[in-house]
Amino acid sequence: MSDRTGSRTIRSGLRRRESRVAYGFLAPWIVGMVVFTIGPILASLYLSFTDYTLLSPPEWRGLENYQRMLADSRLHKSLLVTFQYVFVSVPVQLALALGLAMLLNRGVRGLPIYRSVYYLPSLLAGSVSIAILWRQIFGSEGLVNQLLAKVGVEGVSWVSHPDFALGTLVVLNAWTFGAPMVIFLAGLRQIPSMYYEAASVDGAGAVSQFFRITIPLLTPIIFFNLILQMIGAFQSFTQAFVVSGGSGGPADSTLLYTLYLYERGFGSFEMGYASALAWTLLVIIAVLTGVNFLFAKRWVFYGD
Amino acid sequence: MRVRSIRTRLTTVAVSATLLLSVAACGDSGGDGGPVELRFSWWGNNDRAQATQKVIDAFQAQHPDIKVSGSSADFNAYFDKLATEVAAGDAPDVITLGGAYPREYGDRGALLDLARVRNELKTDKIDAAALGNGNFENKQYGVPTGVNTFALVVNPAVFAKAGVPLPDDSTWTWDDFARIARDISAKSPKGTYGVADPSSADMFDLYSRQRGEGLYTPDGKVAISRNTITEWWTMTVGLRNSGATPPASVTTELEGQPAPEQTLMGRGLAGMQFDWSNQLGALRKASGQPLELLRAPGESGQKPGMWLQASQIYTINARTEHPKEAATFVDFLVNSPEAGKIILTDRGIPANSEVLTSVVPALNPDQSAQATFIEKVTPQVGPPLVIGPTGSTDTRLILQRLNAEVLFDRKSPADAADEFVKQVEAAIGK
Repeated sequence: MSDRTGSRTIRSGLRRRESRVAYGFLAPWIVGMVVFTIGPILASLYLSFTDYTLLSPPEWRGLENYQRMLADSRLHKSLLVTFQYVFVSVPVQLALALGLAMLLNRGVRGLPIYRSVYYLPSLLAGSVSIAILWRQIFGSEGLVNQLLAKVGVEGVSWVSHPDFALGTLVVLNAWTFGAPMVIFLAGLRQIPSMYYEAASVDGAGAVSQFFRITIPLLTPIIFFNLILQMIGAFQSFTQAFVVSGGSGGPADSTLLYTLYLYERGFGSFEMGYASALAWTLLVIIAVLTGVNFLFAKRWVFYGD
Repeated sequence: MRVRSIRTRLTTVAVSATLLLSVAACGDSGGDGGPVELRFSWWGNNDRAQATQKVIDAFQAQHPDIKVSGSSADFNAYFDKLATEVAAGDAPDVITLGGAYPREYGDRGALLDLARVRNELKTDKIDAAALGNGNFENKQYGVPTGVNTFALVVNPAVFAKAGVPLPDDSTWTWDDFARIARDISAKSPKGTYGVADPSSADMFDLYSRQRGEGLYTPDGKVAISRNTITEWWTMTVGLRNSGATPPASVTTELEGQPAPEQTLMGRGLAGMQFDWSNQLGALRKASGQPLELLRAPGESGQKPGMWLQASQIYTINARTEHPKEAATFVDFLVNSPEAGKIILTDRGIPANSEVLTSVVPALNPDQSAQATFIEKVTPQVGPPLVIGPTGSTDTRLILQRLNAEVLFDRKSPADAADEFVKQVEAAIGK
């Protein structure tokens, strides 16, 4: 009796010590999470109900910041720009990714090399240097216009024209198809080849195989990529900031939501309003992701 | 048992080492005994950075107990960076500001009231009008680096190539200006323009002051009338239509690259460009041409719109840990002939009369051209400029946006004028 109790105490003491050690190791991350992530998130929720200019203490204003959004015409413009950006660049990017994944999946020689080469832009494109490069390529004397001049077409400065500037950002985002492509590739590998064999025995062509076997079996992967890329696109900032020189210009045509948020917060010191904008973006992304999950039941096929 | 306890001890050591390291990473500044460290920030090109570093070296030679580290950025990036640093409570100790920024930051409590360091930082030799640009609500927040004026830079070589004579700047009108700009574009090779698009916040001040308005009233409201703005934009749209200014997309592209070397004038691609007089040296160097300064058109018509202004203002961070040392450094920057001889006219004609006297013999032709021009216009300029109220630093961006709307024909000059007044009122209303 006493012996059994003894061993239990030893065991539970051991467990306690082990978990203490585990928490000890985790401490740097837990502290980081609380201090640098959860803390600021909660603080920004509070600030979103205040008028806060950074230099004087915040003053409680209730829902004023949220009411102001309804009448803020530049916010509406930036929402329009952001939605255009997300709803054009994400499908284009996913289509490119899937197309290339299909190509690479046909057993090309040197697949790891191609995979890495196509993946590279995903690592680079968020960087300032690539955005600066983009400015040069699509500028009035950039690479694009030099090529156009060869065929006798006089181009404009694409990054500085309100009709085209957002387009250059869409192209930049589409260029980062590498990350979803790698995931598609993995997905394609998972589809058993016997389905295709059976289908060709039954006389199904390549197109019909693509729509009846590849797409349905790939829907979970497509769904996953869609959600991930959509959230990422809503949060795009660096490219628009650098390409427009920080202004979201010309004429607000590249004023992505996060850029406007930054401008309010750090350009005009309206941290309260900027916090309210941040929480609104969170709600927008959450709602759209929710809608995606609702519709997913109709088109995503989880096999078996 | 022994094995386990050693392992536990090792774990504890590892964890505490990790924590200690992260603490150490945060706290490498400060400490007693060593020299006081100051951070000093300014905007400008590489030449200015090199000259400023020389001044810092000279200061450190005299004050071995103070160490100054400088940082600079181009004009657009500078204020983004500064705002972020101020927000983080990590702004430099000595901050260069200009225009409406000293008031913007001063009103928000970010700048030190210089009365607190009057023993270290003397202002008695500094031009009173220029000093006024750093004084708000009877508090001196900054010291002017030098005196400056917003004027027209011309490239005589472009004029000569096009066969267009230089105007007489004591009599010319805005109509003359538009005609000359058109002529130059028409008779110059493709890609060379009569004038760079002239719309800017400073230009709005100049143009409307000729009509007795100005951008702001002394009590911090919008002074410029819709009518004046409409007429201005009608003129610039006409300039663009006639090819006197570049196409809209070139103008918006130029806005993103404000360094003198990248402007049309700096590249020798414009006959005229409105700019600050202290840019003359940089523009001459970049273009390799004997550029000159002229008075703006329309100055002789109704009222003079030009003014003399502190080109930049040195301020001290209200949260600095070393106000006395920071003040000693600023005193060196503005009051010592030694610093003056290095900076020369790069930050405007020295506002300290003694420094100016000692600097004049050292001026090169570019700099003395500037000094001569300032001397020439001093009796002719209008009253001191009304500096914009808190929030007015947004005006520059509002103008940039609406100017793009107008030049791309998305808004009529009249609609844009309405929008301008409305948006500036909203920005300064808070």
